Amino acid sequence: MGTAPLDIIRAEHGLPTRRDMTRLLSTIVLGGLIYGAVMGAFSGIGPDNLRQILFSAVKVPLLLLVTFALCLPSYFVLNTLFGLRDDFAQALRALITAQAGITILLCALAPYTAFWYINFEHYRLAILFNGLIFAIASLSAQLILVRLYRPLIRNHPRHRMMLGFWLVQYVAVGIQMGWVLRPFIGSPEIPTEFFREDSWTNAYVAISEMIMRTLAGN
Amino acid sequence: MNLVRELDRILRGEATRIENLRDGEIRIPVVGICTAIFILGFVYGFCMSFFSIVNRDGFEWPMLVAPVVKVPLLFMLTLLVTFPSLYVFNALVGSRLSLLSLFRLIIASLAVMLMVLASFGPITSFFSFSTESYSFMILLNVVLFAIAGILGLMFLLQTLHRLTVAPIVEELRRTAPPPATDTSETPSDEGIPMAPPQREPSSIDALPSHPMSSKVKAVVRIWIVIFGFVGAQMAWLMRPFVGAPGMEFTWFRPRGGNFFEAVWNNLVHFLN
Repeated sequence: MGTAPLDIIRAEHGLPTRRDMTRLLSTIVLGGLIYGAVMGAFSGIGPDNLRQILFSAVKVPLLLLVTFALCLPSYFVLNTLFGLRDDFAQALRALITAQAGITILLCALAPYTAFWYINFEHYRLAILFNGLIFAIASLSAQLILVRLYRPLIRNHPRHRMMLGFWLVQYVAVGIQMGWVLRPFIGSPEIPTEFFREDSWTNAYVAISEMIMRTLAGN
Repeated sequence: MNLVRELDRILRGEATRIENLRDGEIRIPVVGICTAIFILGFVYGFCMSFFSIVNRDGFEWPMLVAPVVKVPLLFMLTLLVTFPSLYVFNALVGSRLSLLSLFRLIIASLAVMLMVLASFGPITSFFSFSTESYSFMILLNVVLFAIAGILGLMFLLQTLHRLTVAPIVEELRRTAPPPATDTSETPSDEGIPMAPPQREPSSIDALPSHPMSSKVKAVVRIWIVIFGFVGAQMAWLMRPFVGAPGMEFTWFRPRGGNFFEAVWNNLVHFLN
């Protein structure tokens, strides 16, 4: 298949070959860098904010790639155990292509983020808006994944179950990874750092606390 | 890297293909696989122990050693308690397995459990580093151990069934040379390009040619539930695995309480 951005998005030429991998990986890194830079520009693009822009730019590809790497061993073992080892290389390429797809979609959506930043100065709203953009990009990328997995599923229906397992696992680890790598946007009141002071806490604990607090009405 | 290849054979289901089980035994290097089990237990125990190392003030070696030893031991002791009943009841419904081949079967199943568990190691260590919630770590580990346990059990049960039917299949093959089955299995040449190829069933798939009888299935289902209960309570007996940050290191805690109560309490604590 072609590795031009729109070829990745269309995913109509079937699975990428091994030679496409470098291109795909550089797409992930480059696309992530671009969206991350836009994301970090919340407090402006002046020299004061350069560090935040740089950090955010590095963090987005890091988020995608490290999460991917952490989930890989178990995916490999389970695929093998369920008798799908012969297709694993193909499955892996499909997953990497989808990752590249996410970053391309993010880049396509980046102007909205910039437009939002120009219009609204509210920090919390900026976080929510970015959450929305990430959700749109990753959900849309599922289309790529489904398209690329179709021949595999036709080959062996069990691939559908494995894909489900991958998504659950990837999202569960990805949420925590996103939490650990905060701040992506950078609150204007807090001095710029790569990690937050309380970075190494648990996203799920924080989320359940937030829900409980909301339910309690505070 | 002979060991890796042997583990791979088990995981891919090569070691438990019906034609490889003809003499009623899984051919695996027992000593090698046992070593591998401990190495894999070491890997996962190591990932697990990050939590107490990161969240406690002082570092002591036993904090590292305890989970490393306990992880493989947990699975092994659970099988020790539950396997005799499976063996006897399996014989009751028609199996003729020797004790030695049974032992090999257990070893292979343990290897599957620990391979699955160890493959979750990177995720566990990531959460261990980035979490200070003890309850969360307990719940996460319960889920991952459950996945490993269930998959290992599926492997064990399928292989047990295959070992039971392998001599029968062999007998059939010897009495009736099979020209008919051979031709039916050759893929047709003019077929559609995307036609699914003939696949060997994986190590945890049911054999399409020899389904389990309903009697065997009933025994197996009951046994799975019992295995789950015993394993869970065994884990409770051998606690602490993760190590509460506020408590001193101990190898074991006093008896009392039960697993399900504790998981429930952790769930409630986590949600509050």
